[in-house]
Amino acid sequence: MAYSLLIVGVNHRTAAVDVRERLAFRDDELTPALSRLKLVAPSVSEAALISTCNRVEMITVAAEPEAAANELIGFLAAERRVEPKLFADAVYRFEGREAVRHLFRVGTSLDSMVIGEPQILGQLKDAYVRAAEAGTVDIVLHRAFHRAFSAAKKVRERTLIGHGAVSVSSAAINLARQIFDSFEKKTVLLMGAGEMAETTARQLIRLGIESLLITNRTFDRAVALARTLGGTAVPLDSYRPYLKIADVVIGSLTTNRPTLTRDDIEGVLPERKYRPMFLIDLGVPRNFHEGLNDLDNVYLYNIDDLAAVTDDSREEREREAEKAELIVEVELESFWRWLSGLELVPTIKDIRANIERLRDAELQRHRAWLATLPADQRTHIEALSRGIINKILHQILSELRRNNGVVEGIYAADVARRLLGSEMLTAEVKAANPRVRAGDEEPDD
Amino acid sequence: MTIWLLPALVCYALASVLFAVDFSSRVQRVTGYAVSMLAAGAVFHALDLITRGVQAGNIPVANFTQALSFLAWVTALAGLVLIVRFRIAVIGALVAPSVLIALGAAEAMAGGAGALPHALRSMWLPVHVTLAFAGEALFVLAATVSLIYLFQESRLKAHRPMLSGHGSIPSLEKLDRINYRLLGWGFLLLTLAILSGALWAQHTWGRFWSWEPRESWSLITWVLYAALLESRMTVGWRERRAATLTIVVFAVLVGSFVGVSLLHPGKHGGSFG
Repeated sequence: MAYSLLIVGVNHRTAAVDVRERLAFRDDELTPALSRLKLVAPSVSEAALISTCNRVEMITVAAEPEAAANELIGFLAAERRVEPKLFADAVYRFEGREAVRHLFRVGTSLDSMVIGEPQILGQLKDAYVRAAEAGTVDIVLHRAFHRAFSAAKKVRERTLIGHGAVSVSSAAINLARQIFDSFEKKTVLLMGAGEMAETTARQLIRLGIESLLITNRTFDRAVALARTLGGTAVPLDSYRPYLKIADVVIGSLTTNRPTLTRDDIEGVLPERKYRPMFLIDLGVPRNFHEGLNDLDNVYLYNIDDLAAVTDDSREEREREAEKAELIVEVELESFWRWLSGLELVPTIKDIRANIERLRDAELQRHRAWLATLPADQRTHIEALSRGIINKILHQILSELRRNNGVVEGIYAADVARRLLGSEMLTAEVKAANPRVRAGDEEPDD
Repeated sequence: MTIWLLPALVCYALASVLFAVDFSSRVQRVTGYAVSMLAAGAVFHALDLITRGVQAGNIPVANFTQALSFLAWVTALAGLVLIVRFRIAVIGALVAPSVLIALGAAEAMAGGAGALPHALRSMWLPVHVTLAFAGEALFVLAATVSLIYLFQESRLKAHRPMLSGHGSIPSLEKLDRINYRLLGWGFLLLTLAILSGALWAQHTWGRFWSWEPRESWSLITWVLYAALLESRMTVGWRERRAATLTIVVFAVLVGSFVGVSLLHPGKHGGSFG
């Protein structure tokens, strides 16, 4: 029997969206599902479950990975009430080192559909919290998740993977932020109610704009959208006066020729006291005349310009992803070293030191009586007590060392530390001698 | 030359390098180190000025090079305040090397201690000169901010925006607002400098105004800056136009500062600026 990290799941690369949808868990379903997992998959010792629109994965530590993988697939099918064959072909499986690498790559968004997207880390943290609530994480997954979070943090700090625009609307928002400092007193005019225009408007609302005006060919649609977004609808034949106060104009009308001409804007600029205007043309064909970009303090970006900005930043993110992969490898190496028991040494040292301290405390307690004994007897008693603890320690430590290199070793070390580590012994030592406090040197005799 | 000069130059040089690294490398931020180094440079520079001031018995502005050094110091100080207050490290990349070059040039050209003309040894001197130089330092910074504005503006117009990294440039709106504030405060200080100069002249020479070159040029720059501020408020010449004009007017200011000091010092003492 050999414990190993094991990840079983499907993601956006292996399963189509309709399959992923059927396998997805709601947030509140995770904790109870994990509790059931413990019952149906006996060879699994630790488990967490992450479910987003792009992935459903079971992150586990299991004895007999082969058997456990089948148990996990069965569990997923039973939980979601689907036939295993619906997704069996899409399932991937990572074991040991590969599983850790996968977990770290997920956390750093290297495995995401859009590399560098920021949501995944929060989703992974939620998955961890749910599993902790269900009581299905123990020392290995605790550590693995924490290392995954810290790898993600390092990647955020040391690379530009999360920078730049991932979509046309976020490119528009990035540009708006390079033009305007605060959006508190800004007015946005939405001309046309295209989907991309709506998304962009929503992001501007989140930045705290003062007002939103919406005009559209079908006025009812403008009214409906104004109600959802919290704006004001304006009829298409009377929007022009509002250009005077509009700082951002987003066009997505279906027209044959540009709706906004140079004259329209040139006329309002002096009244605006030449305050900057950001014109976002998402319409095909173009809504705004191209010459508008030549006007002072007017910035016109059409959908191709925005797409070019997005491409630039995607290229940059891909370059940064290479750096991120290196960081993941370094973090993986350090986690693996811990898992392989090289960090057993501090545990062993800790236990030895604490048992020694316990012995010293006992000798302290009897020092008055010991002082009455002849020197050779006193030496004898000390040797005797040392002999006893060495025998016990030898037994424990050789067991720990024997397990070195496998997950069981980590479990054993954890148990040993909890039983014999500094926390337990601090209380004992205190009881034996109130003057000895945790971490203090022994008092002089 | 005092013993403080070399450490001041070294600190300014390091600050220049650090600010450049801070701006160009968009991942590793070294803003804190850059700011500290600029501050250290300003402290050493201050010790240099104090030492000279003690020797001269007044603020050390006896000749053009001393005046240049003093102006560089005030600029470094104002730049520090600006960088910290508005969190725009990018201007450090221009201010630190400017201060370094100004101080280096001042020392390279330095022609002895240069005694202060007797007529100028007065308590009016520090008041008048400090007001004037503080005003000019703010105009230096306004021109710097305007340069950054034009750089950022041209990239946005050309649809080649800076990819938003850590060391990104502030928004146009923010740069414009900072420029406006710098011009406003600079103008106020320049006005006070001219008034204090007039009062001093009345006190010493019995005349408020004698139309000597320095006075005339101060008045010209005062009018230009007044016009610059006025155009913003009335016809709304802000943003790009304001940035361009700020640089043009600053060029006139620099021309008059250097030109008058070197060619027609007039009564404004020896050759000080």
